[in-house]
Amino acid sequence: MANLYFEPFIIPFIIGVAVLFSVMWTKFISWISALPKSDKRLIMKNIFSVATFKALWEAFRECLLHLRIGRVNGRLWYMHTSLAFGWFLLIVFGKIEALLYLDSPVIPIYVDVFFRKYFPFAHVGALGVIMDALLLFVLSGLAAAVIKRFRPSMYGMKRATTHTLGDKLALSALWCIFPLRLLAESFNSAIYDSGSFLTGSLGYLLAAIFPSKTLPYINETMWWCYSTALGLFFISVPISRYLHIFAEIPLVFLRSFKVRANVRATTFTKLQRAACSRCGICIDPCPLSENNISCDTQSVYLLRDEREGGATIAKADSCLLCGRCQRMCPVGIELDTIRISVRRNLREKFDRFDYGYTSNIDMPLANSKIGFFSGCMGRLTPSVGESMKRIADKCGLNIWFMDAEEGVCCGRPQKMAGNIEAADKMREHNEEMFVESGIDTLVTSCPICLRTFKEDYQLKGIRIIHHSQFMAELMESGVLNGLDKRGTLTYHDPCELGRGLGIYDEPRLVIDRIGTLVEPPRSKADSLCCGGSLAHLGLSLEERNKIAATTDRELESTGAECIVTSCPMCKKSLERNAKVRVIDISEAVAERMA
Amino acid sequence: MAAKRVIVIGGGVSGMQAAITLKKQGMTPLLIEKDINLGGKLCRWDRLFPSQTPAKEVVESLVGQISELGIRTLLCCEVSEIARNEGKIEVSTTDGNSYEAEAVIIASGFDLFNATRKEEYGYKIYPNVITSVDLEEMFKEGRVVCADGKAPRSVAFLHCVGSRDRQVGNCHCSRVCCITGVKQAMEIKELYPDCNVYNFYMDMRMFGSGYEELYTKAQEKYRINFIRGRISECSGTIDSGVRIKAEDTLAGRPLKLTVDMLVLLVGKQAPALNAKFASELGITVSPDGFLKGMDCFENATRTSVEGVFVAGTATGPKNVGESMSEAVKAAMDVSEYINTLS
Repeated sequence: MANLYFEPFIIPFIIGVAVLFSVMWTKFISWISALPKSDKRLIMKNIFSVATFKALWEAFRECLLHLRIGRVNGRLWYMHTSLAFGWFLLIVFGKIEALLYLDSPVIPIYVDVFFRKYFPFAHVGALGVIMDALLLFVLSGLAAAVIKRFRPSMYGMKRATTHTLGDKLALSALWCIFPLRLLAESFNSAIYDSGSFLTGSLGYLLAAIFPSKTLPYINETMWWCYSTALGLFFISVPISRYLHIFAEIPLVFLRSFKVRANVRATTFTKLQRAACSRCGICIDPCPLSENNISCDTQSVYLLRDEREGGATIAKADSCLLCGRCQRMCPVGIELDTIRISVRRNLREKFDRFDYGYTSNIDMPLANSKIGFFSGCMGRLTPSVGESMKRIADKCGLNIWFMDAEEGVCCGRPQKMAGNIEAADKMREHNEEMFVESGIDTLVTSCPICLRTFKEDYQLKGIRIIHHSQFMAELMESGVLNGLDKRGTLTYHDPCELGRGLGIYDEPRLVIDRIGTLVEPPRSKADSLCCGGSLAHLGLSLEERNKIAATTDRELESTGAECIVTSCPMCKKSLERNAKVRVIDISEAVAERMA
Repeated sequence: MAAKRVIVIGGGVSGMQAAITLKKQGMTPLLIEKDINLGGKLCRWDRLFPSQTPAKEVVESLVGQISELGIRTLLCCEVSEIARNEGKIEVSTTDGNSYEAEAVIIASGFDLFNATRKEEYGYKIYPNVITSVDLEEMFKEGRVVCADGKAPRSVAFLHCVGSRDRQVGNCHCSRVCCITGVKQAMEIKELYPDCNVYNFYMDMRMFGSGYEELYTKAQEKYRINFIRGRISECSGTIDSGVRIKAEDTLAGRPLKLTVDMLVLLVGKQAPALNAKFASELGITVSPDGFLKGMDCFENATRTSVEGVFVAGTATGPKNVGESMSEAVKAAMDVSEYINTLS
């Protein structure tokens, strides 16, 4: 029979490990087995491919080295990496130490963890130095974590996350683990005169302070405490944010297999939620937080409340879906989609309107292969459509303004509110209209419509482009030429166009041809929100103006004589508060035609 | 006391009326007007509700009295700085001079709402979308036609453009646009009896004497269609018409309509100058940007600063009659104040 090395002090640790792994496996297996069939097919299709290796590499990079956090915040990176990677290495080298010493392939896990207690006389040379160095590395990370909790400003963070009870329990246990390990190993060294530069030196000191006959008792107590802290931490992991340590691993794999969150929440949503480390990186980039409008509705809090079953519709609605937090999230959680799914779940019924009107709208007849869709907001900014008409005339193009007379909403506002069924009705109507009209190019000036067309619509054989891309192509091909190049212009990236669809270059290409482009301090993926977003369902006009004013001041700081944007919603929001002219990119072009 | 000098800022109806009353009370008013002539916004107006009195008559009468009484008037002159020092009001003007007086009456009026800010209505985008002021000028010239020179066969009026609209930051009611809409609709009908006229409104605020009667007459005699509901969006048609989308909230259904001409009844809003008066003199402004009197009753034309008085639409939208009555009240208050000084 193999040696079980049982000692009473390992009981708390064993209980902790057993609870943690049974709860976690149950959770993960039930989530993965409850995934929709389509997701399972994706997993089966991709599991035996290079995607698995990619995921392995990503898991190493992100779960241990936290490189994405490093790109956002260096100090935060050090804290996370020293704790996670340091601890990981402690486990690995602990195992190596035990393997080398015992020369047996089967060693119970607690023997590696409590190696020094079991084998106080073991001298493993360089490994001892490495183990002490690693412990010091982890302790430095712990110190960083303590500082972050009390002085988030030292990490460039205005606000740190507030904690739940589970978090506090886990956090207290976690903070105790490594100091206790240090003490336990040092007392061990004090008795047996072992240990390396850290535990050895501290042991020497302790031996000098404490009477030698008390040392064995203190030592035994310390190991009990260390084991208890570990056990407590493991038990509290499933009820705290530390679940992220383990949840991130399957998340990375499933994501690599192309599984995605859905506005109709699946168990993948639950996995993503569990993978949130509540680092709080999403709080500061939020326009609601920057403008002091609401500081408890950010993604971290919505995910937390959802996990604990306490999310409210008011909290879910309080978000512009601007995508600034999603872009910064080091775990890559699909925050916007998840928020929409929460809205959908919390609103039981949407029965006020039946959207039956879509069937009463006639299908217009196309008179061109190029169709232009203004959208609801576009029709409230007629200067955009008029400019496009003038540009088309100048280029000798015939464009069909399909929704000039009447049209059906693209469905994105309904989708963002969580009313997926209504959005589907709009989509079906428009899909039929687009396909039957026989157009091959669908141009829209509205990034909100554009995103829906691209992400949700099935439009085979139709190219979907933004009007800024359309103009850029006309310019590149020389069709649209002879434009005046005058004035300094700054450009506001609309959320849906920039972060939503990654269209940054074409609008800039257009502006470069008609004037001097000056970039605001935060632009492209980091650009601010105009505050007009249809996604926020409870913002007062004053609050919207506050957000817009912040964005306007930043754009005005460039000294440009005119703010150019390429979204009718952004135009409306920004012009309400701007001190300079705000125009759509098509107006800027039309104004400079000879 | 010898001087009794009073500066009146603004040469519109209330400024002129105030200056005239001051002079008649034995004081020496100095009237400062930024435009080339006296009369203010009324110079662009044709006829006045509810009596259809030509605006010209009112302006000419006041201007006549100004010259008869020999009131000193500065034209094309704007206030660049205003301050109160040791009980005196010091006003510097853009022509480089400065003037001192015992008191000042601010009768600087209002600004018209810039209709291009409601882009969805297509002002300055579609040729036949005009404002009530543009229409009044057409009446004045005696030629009310569409951009192509033809007589309109249908005209729509939209009430509350830039008033009672939080989106543009104007929560207040401009008061006179409702009755102006009724008056102009009737005038259109008088010019073109076969023209279809529609007024889109939120609610009709017929506060003045004779207004309600005019509103009834507009419906019964002139057959003007009053539709309760706002226009949501406009677009141009091939023949330069204006396609309107609205909601008839009484019938509870959406409505589409093509008209030859759309008239936007633009509201009154506080001029940017008010903020300057507020900061330099220390008087208070209301949340809507208009200047604030000491109270809404007997001290309505006094301000929290001694020697500074207000009259007319500087404190909020008013009609011509109200502005003139208030100017008299302000002048009487000034006279009382100056008499207490000596």
